[in-house]
Amino acid sequence: MSEPKKVLIIDDDPDFVSALEALFNSSGCEVRSAVNGKDGLVLAKSYGPDLILLDVMMTERTEGFFTLQEIRRSPGLARTPVIVISSIYAEQPIFRVSPEAGWLPANLFLPKPVDPGRLLEEARRLMETAPAQVGPSASGRRER
Amino acid sequence: MKICKIPKINLDLFASILPAFGELYAPVRRGKGFVFDRPARWSEVQLNYPRTILPPKKFLLPPRETTFKFDSSEGYRDTLAEATKPIVLFGVHAYDIFGMNILDRVFAEGKYKDPYYIARRKSTTIIGYDFEPDEKHFAYSMNADFVDSGFDLLLSDVGEDYLVLVGTSRGDDIILKSGCLMQEPAEADFAEYKRRSSQRRASYKSRIELGDLPEILEMEYHSEVWQEIGERCLSCGSCSAVCPTCYCFDISDEVELGSLSGSRIRSWDSCLFRSHALVAGGENFRDSRASRIKYRFYHKQRGFVAEYGRPSCVGCGRCAECCPAGIDIINVIETIRGERNELRNGSAGAPA
Repeated sequence: MSEPKKVLIIDDDPDFVSALEALFNSSGCEVRSAVNGKDGLVLAKSYGPDLILLDVMMTERTEGFFTLQEIRRSPGLARTPVIVISSIYAEQPIFRVSPEAGWLPANLFLPKPVDPGRLLEEARRLMETAPAQVGPSASGRRER
Repeated sequence: MKICKIPKINLDLFASILPAFGELYAPVRRGKGFVFDRPARWSEVQLNYPRTILPPKKFLLPPRETTFKFDSSEGYRDTLAEATKPIVLFGVHAYDIFGMNILDRVFAEGKYKDPYYIARRKSTTIIGYDFEPDEKHFAYSMNADFVDSGFDLLLSDVGEDYLVLVGTSRGDDIILKSGCLMQEPAEADFAEYKRRSSQRRASYKSRIELGDLPEILEMEYHSEVWQEIGERCLSCGSCSAVCPTCYCFDISDEVELGSLSGSRIRSWDSCLFRSHALVAGGENFRDSRASRIKYRFYHKQRGFVAEYGRPSCVGCGRCAECCPAGIDIINVIETIRGERNELRNGSAGAPA
């Protein structure tokens, strides 16, 4: 029997984290979580997740973007798939820079509220495929 | 030059897209000082900083770098590729941009072009940010309080917004990428910019007179002042390390055990170090501390003028701030000019 996939959730909304934990636990994944980017990065380095689900607006409204940069700079995490799940576009309408514009080094951006079925499907796909190097210089290769 | 504006409250959103142009570095607090470093979150960025401990030259001329590696079986392999990693320097003051423009003249436009420096300069996006001078800034006297080149974007505080001057096509790309965060400036923004610009120029507490300084230095070459400064100078080299335009370096080869491979290392040097002018046979052209610190002043304020038409000093005040012996460039120049009877015992700063 193969090892369960490890999922790290970095989000400051406890209800949303609980819902995601239930969703991924029921799919046979092991789940851990952190409530801010700093703790999330520390946990990511020790936990070595197969997938990171990352919020943006936490202690600060752009915290997830900066955390994502740190994740991509960390040698052990640079290739770890990251799905950014955020309502920033709904809550900050002035911020009209599309996540598809090649600036966000995530594998996928999903707006909140997220469809659980789609999230699970995308998560499985990302965890099963060999992770590709993702970063600012390779942003054009982001998953869609 | 294209000019936009961005509301201050949206600067964090603007900064979020900058990593698309390279790894983001900005002024953050470290102990009692400020350094250009990677912010873990936007609130770490301290834009109202007086000056950073080290100038941004550390990104263009790293304190220590491997220029190439050699191996008896594979030959030479340069490390130029490592120098092309794109970075974004956010919040750089005008005098530091001016300092990089001066380094350009030495390393990118001079007779001996430095491929490592040029590669880093091309890979570096510079976003300038205006500043309020403190008691040690004298950039206005050095004509380095404003720059019209050497940056991609330059942000100026006009109250609720920043005016954004676009300096390059890359800067324009950033503006395009930032979408609706940028706005059209109004006449009132320009009026506020001019008001603050005049106010800032008037607020400089430290000033020196540049006119005929090279000539006066020529006249005072044998002044006792240099001996007096030499007796105080510790030859620690801090002033060189923190100077935006000090560029002396040393080269050494580090050979692996077995002598079959190794690396060529370039590292910062200082004309304050006794070894700087030491040559084979044990001769030293600047053996005394007085001769070394005098050389530093003459190179900055006279020799560079003859070679490049202006002093290489940009008036950042770092050398005065960090000198553990309290040697202050303003006091030295005023003493040499005869405007001051003796060197004041300035308060010693912390070594860099």
